[in-house]
Amino acid sequence: MNATGEQHDADCALRMEGVTKTFPGVRALDGASLSVGRGEVHGLVGENGAGKSTIIKILAGVYHADAGSVSVDGEPLERIDPASVHRLGVRFIHQEISLVPHFSVAESVFLGQEQTGRLGTAKRAMRERAETFLAETLGVELDGRALVRDLSVAERKLVQIARALIDGRAKLVVFDEPTAVLAAAEVKTLFTAIDTLRRAGKSMLYVSHYLNEIHQICDRVTVFRNGADVGVVDLRQPQQPQVRVPEIIRLMVGRDIGDLYPQRRRSERTRDALEVAGLDDGHRLRGVSLTVGAGEVVGLTGIIGSGRAELVDSLYGLRKIRAGKITVDGEPARTNSPARAVRSGLALVPRDRRNDGLVLDMTVADNVNLATLEEVSTLGWLNRAAAGRRGEELMERLDVRPRGSHAVSRLLSGGNQQKVVLGRWLASQASVYVLDDPTVGVDVGARSEIYRLIADLAQAGAGVLMCSNDPAELLGMCDRILVMVRGRIIADIAAADTDHEHLTALATGGAEAA
Amino acid sequence: MTAETPAPSRADSAAPTASQARSAWSRRIFDVVSRYGFVIVFFAFAVFFALRADAFLNPSNLVNILEGNAVLLIAALAMTLVVASGGIDLSIGIAIDFGGWFAIIAMRDYDLTWASALLVGVLAGAAVGVLNAGLIVRLKISPFLATLGTFFIGSSIQQIYTSGGGQVPFREMSESFRSLSTGAVLGVPTEIVIAAVVGVVYFVLLERSVHGKRIHAIGLQRSVASVSGIRVSGYLVFVFVFASATVALSGIILTAGLRQFTPLSGFSYLLDAIAAVFIGASMHPQRRPNVAGTLLGVLFLGVVSNGLNLMGLDFNLRDALEGIILVGALALAFANRNNRARAVSI
Repeated sequence: MNATGEQHDADCALRMEGVTKTFPGVRALDGASLSVGRGEVHGLVGENGAGKSTIIKILAGVYHADAGSVSVDGEPLERIDPASVHRLGVRFIHQEISLVPHFSVAESVFLGQEQTGRLGTAKRAMRERAETFLAETLGVELDGRALVRDLSVAERKLVQIARALIDGRAKLVVFDEPTAVLAAAEVKTLFTAIDTLRRAGKSMLYVSHYLNEIHQICDRVTVFRNGADVGVVDLRQPQQPQVRVPEIIRLMVGRDIGDLYPQRRRSERTRDALEVAGLDDGHRLRGVSLTVGAGEVVGLTGIIGSGRAELVDSLYGLRKIRAGKITVDGEPARTNSPARAVRSGLALVPRDRRNDGLVLDMTVADNVNLATLEEVSTLGWLNRAAAGRRGEELMERLDVRPRGSHAVSRLLSGGNQQKVVLGRWLASQASVYVLDDPTVGVDVGARSEIYRLIADLAQAGAGVLMCSNDPAELLGMCDRILVMVRGRIIADIAAADTDHEHLTALATGGAEAA
Repeated sequence: MTAETPAPSRADSAAPTASQARSAWSRRIFDVVSRYGFVIVFFAFAVFFALRADAFLNPSNLVNILEGNAVLLIAALAMTLVVASGGIDLSIGIAIDFGGWFAIIAMRDYDLTWASALLVGVLAGAAVGVLNAGLIVRLKISPFLATLGTFFIGSSIQQIYTSGGGQVPFREMSESFRSLSTGAVLGVPTEIVIAAVVGVVYFVLLERSVHGKRIHAIGLQRSVASVSGIRVSGYLVFVFVFASATVALSGIILTAGLRQFTPLSGFSYLLDAIAAVFIGASMHPQRRPNVAGTLLGVLFLGVVSNGLNLMGLDFNLRDALEGIILVGALALAFANRNNRARAVSI
């Protein structure tokens, strides 16, 4: 027995067996196993709370398992701490990007592993190596002197990856939701980088909510449910995603969730909820015009740098505009501050949920009521019973788990946090909802509920502008899709007239045409 | 396939039950100590003083403690509001000074009634807040630096117009004005009554009104407040102006008691006020500045100085104790927070 086990271990870059971890009141892992073959890209999926993050934190030495064994490259680890895992060549690309905003790209890449020359740190050498590495392995041209705070989120992600891999000693790279912040084109860049690494013989563990990505780049995928592994799906056999993805979903949720996207009754457009004409900020936006009808869901896509983010910010008064007109429900809207935008009938679900979406240290009820406190108060005196009641009602309607409007928002999972942000605006009855990447980092189950909510909003007569870089989601939800390239809207197409490839080509290929 | 690999780390898998139980207990004790530690220490001090100094529990001494700290309480409440909004106000001393100074000038040089003088003083304090708010909201200077600037400017103005810090006496002060400090309402010293009214106003504002919710949201995560349509700049202007106007009141009480204005005397309240706010915040489950906590913080400082005084001990010990308690309370609060964060962020 022992011999076969060891032999098996030798083929594995990583082998975790029977891992159990209990937190006060929660059994996060219950005998979970996970093994990654040498040179393999191995996917790890599961709903929020299935134990993915916990097992990765155990591997990283952040938590210590109550029971179970871990071996890296056939070498059993007794006590895992961050330094020893690092020594064995395990590298983590965490979901959160932790870079110092005022450091340059080169400084960030070499932080803690500075190269030294005769005169202290070898700045020039480090800059050149960082630039070369970013260009060759990750396929992105970045100035090594640029400051991190001036980079887009996607570029920061790539700097983060470069930082983990620059020493060339990585054997197993763990990606935790790497594409959550990336646009379609950058996802491609990342996949190219992963392919390069695969050819170099590195093993990879890839944690993601995006099943199409998993299907695209992983060799095998392990599915977690309720703290244990419930199956390994081999993706190398030639099978269509139509067969594989539902199989994975079934394993993840333990049931068929039916259609991910709700059936929507598409009605004739009667009036415009939002009309934007010639929006220009003199920099990233060059005369953007668009309309969103009442009861319509309009998609907006565009790679990082296309001006998509700037457009959303301008609509909502977070960014100054030079020229252009915004009309909400037929009334000209002065949206030079978010407070004004809200009063004109706009509601924003921001892309950066943890920084802009929720006051993490406030209770769920407080967060839900934050935008509409007048409605649960008399003459400024907060009616706490009414506020609590409304919090409960919305949690019930949104199926936020765990229930209890007095829970601190920080403790909710990503999907549930997003539902709370949506809930805040459901209470406000806005006429136009701008949803910026509403399902990033949200698991399949919660995602289908969020889609249903969006459909309900449109059904009730609101206009929805849904910004996303997930073509499947746009095609599944939207009536029309707008594609932005370099500060202009280059396409306005009915969702029925386009497909996945066409959209991606428009968003990325449009750049060549311009 | 799933060969049982007898890994060494499994050997101790049977042990947890006993040690887990032990750690659960120590965690619970730790929780209680860190949450109520300050209250325990507070009562320990009170009991200690009561045993060692007979006069301590004397009702008139307790009233003394309250009366002697009414001014600090008002300043600390104002600071609570500012800290809740995510800022700090280093210039409360200036607003205290301006309140008393302008009230005296109004009565002495312009013969205004005591009520008008009170209003003039409060407006003078509010003016300090307006300057702060302008620097912070318009010029986007951080509250720390903006109010530091105001502090320097305000100090200099006082020195220039009082020939380098000379006192501004006004012995012929009307009895009505003087009673703001020395009088009594239904047998309760006026100072205590004023401080209590301010306390109630701040409690309603910060803990029970929608505005308080919004101010807390701004302080905790400003971008979220902004995206939610809250007028962040408007609230910050209100917070700084209201806080300065409030502390001007305590300056007026001070001058009424002394029948003179002593330049730069407000500064001595700044650090105590900050300490009281943060001692109070350390008791809140989410470590937020709160009115009840601030009240406890101020009472603690008052009890310690009074007790040391009665026991004839070195009064300078008070500052050391204040420092130890402040740092201790914050350390416990943060240790506890880290502990909990680790336990739940699965």
